[in-house]
Amino acid sequence: MLRALFQTLFRKKQTEQQLDDELRSYLELTTAENVRRGMTPAKAAQQARRDLGGMEQVKENVRDVRVGASLETFLQDVRYAIRSLRKNPSFAAIAILTLALGIGANTTIFSVVNGVLLKPLPYPNPGRLITLWETHPVWGRFLSVAPANFYDWREQNRSFDKMAALNAYPDYILTGTGEPHRLTGADVTADFFPLLGVKMALGRGFQAAEDHAVVLSYSTWERYFGARPEIVGTQVRLNDQSFTVVGVLPRDFSLVSKPSDFQARGQFDVWTNLGLNSPPEAWLRGTHPLNVFGRLKPGVPLQQAQADLDRIAANLRHLYPDDNKDKGIVAIPMEEHAVANVRTALFTLLAAVAMVLLIACANIANLLLTRAAARQKEMALRAALGASRRRLAQQLLTESAVLASVGALLGLALTLWSVPALVRHLPADLPRASGISVDGPVLAFTTLIALATGILFGLVPLVQSRDVRLNARGVSSGQSRLRSALIVGQVSLALVLLAGAGLMTRSLRALLQVSPGFRTGNILTARLSLPRRYANGYKFGTGAHRQISVFQRALADRVRAIPGVESLGFTSHLPLAGTNNDWSFFIEGRPPKPPGVFDSTDYRPVTAGYFETIGIPIKSGRSFEARDDEDHALVVIVNEAMARQFWPGENPVGQRLKFGDENWRTIVGIAGDVHHEGLAIAPVPEMYIPWGQVPNVEVRPILVVRSLIDPASLTSAVRKAVAEVDRGVPMDHVATMQQIVSGSVSESRFRTTAIALFALLALFVASIGLYGVMSYLVSQRTREFGIRMAVGATRGAVLRQVLQQGAKLAAIGVAIGLAAAALFGRLIASLLYRVKPLDAPTLVGVSILLAAVALLASYIPARRAANADPMDSLRYE
Amino acid sequence: MPESEILQGTLDLLILKSLALDKMHGMAISRRISQITNGAFEAKAGSLFPALHRMEQAGWLSSEWGESETKRRSKFYKLTRTGRSRLQSESQRWERISLAMASALRAT
Repeated sequence: MLRALFQTLFRKKQTEQQLDDELRSYLELTTAENVRRGMTPAKAAQQARRDLGGMEQVKENVRDVRVGASLETFLQDVRYAIRSLRKNPSFAAIAILTLALGIGANTTIFSVVNGVLLKPLPYPNPGRLITLWETHPVWGRFLSVAPANFYDWREQNRSFDKMAALNAYPDYILTGTGEPHRLTGADVTADFFPLLGVKMALGRGFQAAEDHAVVLSYSTWERYFGARPEIVGTQVRLNDQSFTVVGVLPRDFSLVSKPSDFQARGQFDVWTNLGLNSPPEAWLRGTHPLNVFGRLKPGVPLQQAQADLDRIAANLRHLYPDDNKDKGIVAIPMEEHAVANVRTALFTLLAAVAMVLLIACANIANLLLTRAAARQKEMALRAALGASRRRLAQQLLTESAVLASVGALLGLALTLWSVPALVRHLPADLPRASGISVDGPVLAFTTLIALATGILFGLVPLVQSRDVRLNARGVSSGQSRLRSALIVGQVSLALVLLAGAGLMTRSLRALLQVSPGFRTGNILTARLSLPRRYANGYKFGTGAHRQISVFQRALADRVRAIPGVESLGFTSHLPLAGTNNDWSFFIEGRPPKPPGVFDSTDYRPVTAGYFETIGIPIKSGRSFEARDDEDHALVVIVNEAMARQFWPGENPVGQRLKFGDENWRTIVGIAGDVHHEGLAIAPVPEMYIPWGQVPNVEVRPILVVRSLIDPASLTSAVRKAVAEVDRGVPMDHVATMQQIVSGSVSESRFRTTAIALFALLALFVASIGLYGVMSYLVSQRTREFGIRMAVGATRGAVLRQVLQQGAKLAAIGVAIGLAAAALFGRLIASLLYRVKPLDAPTLVGVSILLAAVALLASYIPARRAANADPMDSLRYE
Repeated sequence: MPESEILQGTLDLLILKSLALDKMHGMAISRRISQITNGAFEAKAGSLFPALHRMEQAGWLSSEWGESETKRRSKFYKLTRTGRSRLQSESQRWERISLAMASALRAT
């Protein structure tokens, strides 16, 4: 059987020769017999041939029964298809390129969407993983949780198998492994790892009451402990305390989370035990540091769990009105929460590439139509020579499939190249970016697209070849209507994409034009992490930060001495770079608020020199000075937004407020507003406090240096200065302010660039399509133009006529496109900043651009028609 | 006149039967079939050769090249072991069918 297949496919010549021999022998034997019966040799041979019934026909019948005959036919079709594509290289190149770009772009974006949105979370039974939050009608829907509340939720719920809490501990300083290193850390309850279903690479997770135990991430284990397997059970030094290593997490573990939830983006270096095994003290209901996770019991739907939590929330409101007034609980699937902010942007990109692919398909269909028309005679001839309709259809489909396969292969190659390239350029705040890869489902998706397109545009010429007749010529009206429809579709889709790209570009420009409220040029920033001992002796409300102030002053002296440094200051949080603290306060002379209601705003500790260095203007009053320290009267500076909100129509300078039990603070100045949370987000009320007078411990000063020279060139000198003051202080997150601003718009810039690229691709492909169709229509009417010119039409008239035809198609396309763009604009409205979805300048602009390109695409064939010699035109055919 | 067109499905059996005694080339098989059916059936080249090739690929027949009576290079077919057991099972099946058909047609 296999031998037979082998012979059919590869020993074709020999097999054919043998068949020929066999039949000739038969013929000869029959002839000989006829002669024996008394016929003349000539008559005998003639009779034998008649008896055989047509040599070729017998051979064809034998070929049909051969094993692999259909495969053979298929290969023959493929060879024919390749030959005929090679005869028309520009057609093949355009078609394959169009398809490769369409499929490549589509697969790439689909890879991203698949990795971020569609793939299940990398934990067992991920659908049952839930995040839980406190809610408040004013403060918001996803508030982190008080430890005492978490404890009650865990004890009282009936819907969760496990519930665990995480406290994103700011950082640990690791010592005893050479230089000190700052590590990101998280405290988790013992149930946390079992809840996610994590299997440790080494050792185990936490036991309930285990103190001073630590679990290392795989990369921490590799980087600082040389991946030594005997690490489990040994002691490591974190923040000057000894911890026992109990386990190492697997290499691929990360906590999938919304990037804004944790500064460490779920990649914590070390994990410690949060405890919370017995009812917490009462004050742990008033502080809210926890992220809470739950695993639903099998068969319990989310709504039922939510009802259960609502019951608990009502109970807690009743029992602890001081802390839980108006508080609720909300449960949301972990996966949904992580990607909530990027869903729209990613689906927009997916919609955009789908449009590119549609345009590409329409283009290929049009190209094939054009080609089928040019080959009508060939088809008619082959039909007349006995090719069945089925055989012709098979041939046409094969040709499309060959095109589609080559296009898909190229597209796949493009994807393999572009996905890693894209992942490198993804905005840092895209969640789950590590989950992006070209994998099975994506591959299947590409193949599906390729096959679907192959069949789709293979069918179009089939419909047309239904009436293949010899001598058929000219364009049937149905056919040109189909072509025109395809062109109109392409033009309108291209317009939608161009409009989307235009809107996003304008939005990005508007975003970049927002004045951030500070200077971005020539500023270097670096984060320092002081060991905890700097906070020793600190007591709430006394402002005892002497050791930190001493460090800051010593460092300031050294840094100021570096050539090129103009000024410097310290802050706890940079603008546009991460989260804020907020603190509740009382204003002097205002009536007391009911329990559970506070005034609170964000605040940040800064040192004297910070405002001047980063260029935040003091609008009224004074800036901080060196004398605003532990030993002097407490002061505070508020920003304009805070002044407007709490002292409308008044000057707050000279007024007093206080935090908790401390002494009154005098407002000494009003600082200009700063876009701290993002360029697109309006400034919020904020206050600044001198570092020496902060009511709580702040051991992570960010050094901000303004320079006269390139700020990045100061890095090593600054690092040296830090080491000179205290060798035990790690310095990291070194960045210029320009980089921070640019990083804050990276997501917007990424999606704008992507859409703009797709729009240009769409414009390019659609104009090729228009050009192709206009060329074809012109070639079909060569004779007509010849006659017209022969009877006196000018070249200008012919030119105008062709241009008009192109312009009409483009105009209809633009009109439909504008309507569709309005819908698309609404889809992306949430992604736009200070640009309306129906932005007239954008829509008019892209319409003009598209019309101009369309006219150019028709102008070239139009000129060809006008310049043709009338006599040639008449002789044509 | 011969019945000419051989009943569908019977050609294979007739070819197997013709080759039961000795190897033969195509033309001889054709003659043998009309001989053993008393001229009732005639295997034309157009159906004989496809059948021979199909049966060879199915492994019922094997072939070798030899010299015919006219000293011409010809392809000779013979039964394989599979072909021989096929002949047996097909014959039995056919006998059952023809018995059944005969009794059906005799029934009133």
